[in-house]
Amino acid sequence: MSDESFARLRRAAPALVLLLALAVASLLSGSIGGLRLASPDRSRVDQVRNAIGNLPDSALVLLAFDADLGTYAEIRATTRSAIDDLRAHGARLAIVSFTPEGRAIAAAERDRMARAGEVAPVDLGFVAGSEAGLVRGIESIIPAGAEGDTVDAVREGGGGIGAFDMVLIISGSDISARSWVEQVGTRLPALPMVAIAPTFLDPELEPYLRSGQLTALISTLREGVAYTETVAAGSASAPGPIVGSLPMLVGLLAALGVLAEAAFRQLGRRSRSTVRRRGRR
Amino acid sequence: MRRTILTGIVLVTGLLVLLDLMILNPSLHGAAGAVNELLVLLAAAAAVGGGAALAAHHVRNLAAADGDSAASVVLLLGMAAVLVAGLRPGSSGSSDPAVLWLVAALLAPIAASVFALLFIFLLGAFRRGFAIRARETTLMAGAAAVVIVLLLPVGGQAGDWLAAGAGWVRDVPLGGVFRGLLIGIGILVAVSAARTLLGLDADDE
Repeated sequence: MSDESFARLRRAAPALVLLLALAVASLLSGSIGGLRLASPDRSRVDQVRNAIGNLPDSALVLLAFDADLGTYAEIRATTRSAIDDLRAHGARLAIVSFTPEGRAIAAAERDRMARAGEVAPVDLGFVAGSEAGLVRGIESIIPAGAEGDTVDAVREGGGGIGAFDMVLIISGSDISARSWVEQVGTRLPALPMVAIAPTFLDPELEPYLRSGQLTALISTLREGVAYTETVAAGSASAPGPIVGSLPMLVGLLAALGVLAEAAFRQLGRRSRSTVRRRGRR
Repeated sequence: MRRTILTGIVLVTGLLVLLDLMILNPSLHGAAGAVNELLVLLAAAAAVGGGAALAAHHVRNLAAADGDSAASVVLLLGMAAVLVAGLRPGSSGSSDPAVLWLVAALLAPIAASVFALLFIFLLGAFRRGFAIRARETTLMAGAAAVVIVLLLPVGGQAGDWLAAGAGWVRDVPLGGVFRGLLIGIGILVAVSAARTLLGLDADDE
């Protein structure tokens, strides 16, 4: 091996070791005691479960699917659990997207459900126009040619977002629960809105939950894991892959290690240069 | 003259939407709906225009052998693959199996992987940051280390304390700073909108 190749390998070694450690931790996850990723505070989980539990029989629920491709991995298990939870309560589901990325993920999720033999939510497709499209959806959200019992029930209720008993907002950065509160909440204040969002949106959405404009919110990974575990405990179906606590611990400890190493190295460099300066004097 | 027309359009459309929110009137509602439809069309046109401009930019780069040619080729091929899969005769658009495969097998894993790599790049940036701007990086790394410790997935009483601490950091310092930023942005937008409605610009000051 040439010196250059060796130097390149040496530079990449820490990242490779970290990836290997994370892969091993992922495989071992589930068998380690003393670790807990699920949030010990169950208030958020209870809020979502109450919102779903309080729905009337055969409730119409709109899944507003506008997640990002980059952050969907964080909320994927929570979203699937919420859909299972809604199904277990007999809700009639319809799915719509206001962003192209959200539409792509929603279509892939519907496809996965169909392949798993589950009843996929009624597809209301993609609505163009971002927030203007959201406002238009209040009047009419059913695409031309859509048919079925759920679509008929929405038509009977006026054909718009107001026909639904609840909206579950799968948030991303372009259209988040904030857009829903601002554009739909002001026009349909009685419509319950529940949101699932990646952690980076939490500071933005927290005030809407406290003001009651959002009925419930799950916006951190730990709350999501707690919700998924709760739903899975009362369900015969498996929740699908959940983030393990061991890989999370390995990643966090590695980050702490790198920060400490870099800080001490800098400290050592500084003290050496101080000693050198004093020696010159 | 041009500025007056633009201001007039902004004023009329803004007032129309606001009045529609405040007054229940079918005619007003219809007019606000029409404005909203125009907005939807404008957004769709902007999206198509943006895509076309991006493609044209990369075709120009390739023709002039300027910039990263490999990246331009990958981008154009990617665009072509999605457009052909979704628009070819007989395709069911975004629900077409070919589009679903492109999203589920390629787009989603690639985007998630790029996002996950941020973790490694961020740690690398911290290491370099200590050498360039030691004081600022120390402050940032200190705050990051505190948050990392609070997020450790530990069970038992210690885990409860850490989780409560993480919740406090999220709700109080982080939430406070973020809301302050949002309020500041809101005030700036309101001032800027008022200036546009009143037809004021830098020359009037």
